[in-house]
Amino acid sequence: MLIAHQPVLVELAKDDPRRRGAALAALLPGCPGPVSVDLALSAADAAQLAYGLVLRAYRPLGKYRAPADDDPLPWPDRVLVLTDAPEAAQGLFDRLLPVAAGVHLARDLVAEPGNHLGPAELAAQAQALERLGVSVELLDPTVHGLNLLAAVGQGSTRAPLLAVLRWQGSVAEEKPLVLVGKGLTFDSGGLSIKPAEHMEEMKGDMGGAAAVLGAMRAIAGRKAKANVVGVLAIAENMPGGGALRPGDVIRSYKGLTVEVVDTDAEGRLVLADALAWACDHLRPALLVDAATLTGAVVRVLGRHHAGLYANRDTLAARLLKLGVAEAEPLWRLPLSARCDDDFRSDVADWKNCGWGPVPDNDDAARFLQHFVDTKVPWAHLDIAGTSEADEDQLYGPKGATGFAVRLFDALAGG
Amino acid sequence: MKISFAKPHLPTEGAVIVGVLDNKVFTPTATALDDLAGGGLKRAVDASKFTGKKDQTLTVLAPAGCKVNRVVLVGLGKADAIDALAAQSFGGTGLAQVLTSGDASVAIAVDAVPGLKISEADFAANVAFGARLRSYRFDKYFTKEKKEDKPSVKKLAILTAAPTAKNAFAPLDAIADGVFLTRDVVSEPANVIYPESLAAECKKLADLGVEVEILGEKQMKKLGMGSLLGVGQGSDRESQLVIMRWTGAKDKNAAPIAFIGKGVCFDTGGISIKPAAGMEDMKWDMGGAGAVIGAMMALAGRKAPANVVGVVGLVENMPSGNAQRPGDVVTSMSGQTIEVINTDAEGRLVLADALWYTKETYKPKAMVDLATLTGAIIISLGGEYAGLFANNDKLAERLTQAGKAVGEPLWRLPMGDAYDKQLKSDIADMKNVGGREGGSITAAQFLKRFVGDVAWAHLDIAGTAWSKKDTATCAKGATAFGVRLLDQLVADHYQD
Repeated sequence: MLIAHQPVLVELAKDDPRRRGAALAALLPGCPGPVSVDLALSAADAAQLAYGLVLRAYRPLGKYRAPADDDPLPWPDRVLVLTDAPEAAQGLFDRLLPVAAGVHLARDLVAEPGNHLGPAELAAQAQALERLGVSVELLDPTVHGLNLLAAVGQGSTRAPLLAVLRWQGSVAEEKPLVLVGKGLTFDSGGLSIKPAEHMEEMKGDMGGAAAVLGAMRAIAGRKAKANVVGVLAIAENMPGGGALRPGDVIRSYKGLTVEVVDTDAEGRLVLADALAWACDHLRPALLVDAATLTGAVVRVLGRHHAGLYANRDTLAARLLKLGVAEAEPLWRLPLSARCDDDFRSDVADWKNCGWGPVPDNDDAARFLQHFVDTKVPWAHLDIAGTSEADEDQLYGPKGATGFAVRLFDALAGG
Repeated sequence: MKISFAKPHLPTEGAVIVGVLDNKVFTPTATALDDLAGGGLKRAVDASKFTGKKDQTLTVLAPAGCKVNRVVLVGLGKADAIDALAAQSFGGTGLAQVLTSGDASVAIAVDAVPGLKISEADFAANVAFGARLRSYRFDKYFTKEKKEDKPSVKKLAILTAAPTAKNAFAPLDAIADGVFLTRDVVSEPANVIYPESLAAECKKLADLGVEVEILGEKQMKKLGMGSLLGVGQGSDRESQLVIMRWTGAKDKNAAPIAFIGKGVCFDTGGISIKPAAGMEDMKWDMGGAGAVIGAMMALAGRKAPANVVGVVGLVENMPSGNAQRPGDVVTSMSGQTIEVINTDAEGRLVLADALWYTKETYKPKAMVDLATLTGAIIISLGGEYAGLFANNDKLAERLTQAGKAVGEPLWRLPMGDAYDKQLKSDIADMKNVGGREGGSITAAQFLKRFVGDVAWAHLDIAGTAWSKKDTATCAKGATAFGVRLLDQLVADHYQD
């Protein structure tokens, strides 16, 4: 089909420019460069088309494999998007490319296996953003009262930590958007160990932290005029002689005690400490967390919507709208006081989960709510079903999606 | 238990239930009793944790100076927050305290309170309604129950100054009849309520003016209902389709609203058999049909000026030499073929034919189906909300508002092509399951294929049809979720 030195015409369905760029990307592997895109595009549309193209032109992790016959064909070396206002288009694109970079970074991190990306390596990825002007602080949970985070990570030989990434793009007095991510670089379940089949997928249990890290990469990369803080609760959940035991009671950062009945309900523990710490230290204008939190949310919403919980209808509405605009769809689920009955404890303030046929997705969200200051507008995204895809998507191939990076970037604005 | 209405006065026997507003503000009857008791009630309150917070209770036995055996104080919360539901809660919570007390005579003083937003008549009527709902007990199989465990209350008097309270209660009483019927048939074990015997219960609604038609297997086979019949073929008990029509609107020919119910009288799972533990719960897998039957009784009982059709598909899902096998392909009445991957996803197979039949025969304005359909809904919304799926936003919103009004709340879940794709079959038009992910949603997508263009909503009540705990208006057990919701929907939007 491809004849050297002859232009080949390609049909692209009518659609918005970003989606057309993505559709184009799917056609490009194996095309010798340069490829010219001549669609009589305005500067804005040209930039969006290029953005869509870059988003979709992501190649999953190949560094651990020798080249194989079934590898995808290479990209053309150059794609030229024609427009009457190339300088304007470039200017717009310069602010979109860092967002694509953030999405690709998040995808890379989720796909990295657990031996290569442990807590220290994820922290190093956070520190790498210092070159973009992000200030990064790494906190030892045992020294800062983050006892739930410490407990989750105590079974591993690789220590847990809280990473705090600060981007100040606006005046210091302006209260920041705070993004919190669950960063379990590997979740075996701990002593409440998971079944063997598909456990390798749990290298992706830091999808929430990856979304936050990718968002910070985007926000700093495009020099957003906004104050944003990213908080990553990072740990590895392993069984062992020193691991957390079912029944252990831990005093959280906030002071509430938790009886850990299931060491595999650990994401809500690390988030409980991170959210409470953020409320105390960061004066959030808005607090949003992302986490690959429950299997239950996948049972409810499948892989086509992430679960959204929020303590303010206005925040929920805003996120739902952004989700549609960024093709990262959310669906709101109830935050309900009645869930408390599922995880009441006889020996501590709360258990970390209920057993039996309980709505664990709702229970987990309600659990988290106990650790969030009621005065802070807060939303929780359960992205367990959307962090990875089992077929090619609109803006990426099958595999890690980088879900929520673009949503968070849009939420930050500036 | 006989319910009557009387003017406010101080009872001289049995039990009296009185309201106390937030911050220990006594209502007039409570104050009058307290005066008789020389301040004894107020002292009891101060010595306790009771503050008048909504649904708190404090029982004072034989207070000095009062002739009654007991005074039950029930918290009303804030006066301006008292709505119909709060009134029901007051009645039910109060009655629960005295139901097995030994007293045969109970009075509830429904005093006017300043700031009340509903009418006094509605307040009193709903208190009576709540008490009646809470009085329900499924005890027919106890042969050795001790006297002290049995309900003792024979007469309940609602004391109110509103002369129209009794009239306001009449339609609510009819709704309660429907609720009780549903609770009865859902609580009955499957050796007593099976397709033919449940159809016979439906037939009794003819006494209220409901036209009842029963289709047997021969007739259903002629109509091509291969999907429904496949589910019941393994049982010795004949499957039934029951159609109940209430034509109460002025225009007898106006298009009706239709309610369709899943009536799996017992669900073993079939060849894809369920585990033993907890299988006894599956006697209530006809909770959706039960709700539709109860709703028809309620609507006919209060002579709703509406045209309503209730259709219930009744089957028993059993394993046997004749049962359908995983992999069987059946042809539904609509002509669409279904590959039955899992014989335990049978409710949707029953509904597929029931929905199509209803749509074709009655051309309804809208269809609402109720079903204890998926275990997945229990682990997504628990027992608090039923799952709502719809192809029409207006209908969805109407149902959501009706649910809020009657305390049978719904939570809408998404639908879409991406979920629909999960039903793809290699050999038939669709599979009957779409994998573990989004299980309740793919079940709804399945049903959607059998409703055509009609405005339709599906309520997955698997988490709400049965309760493990008492609530203010419902003893643990069958809740009859859906009866009051459907009645309210008709009252709000589908009657003259």
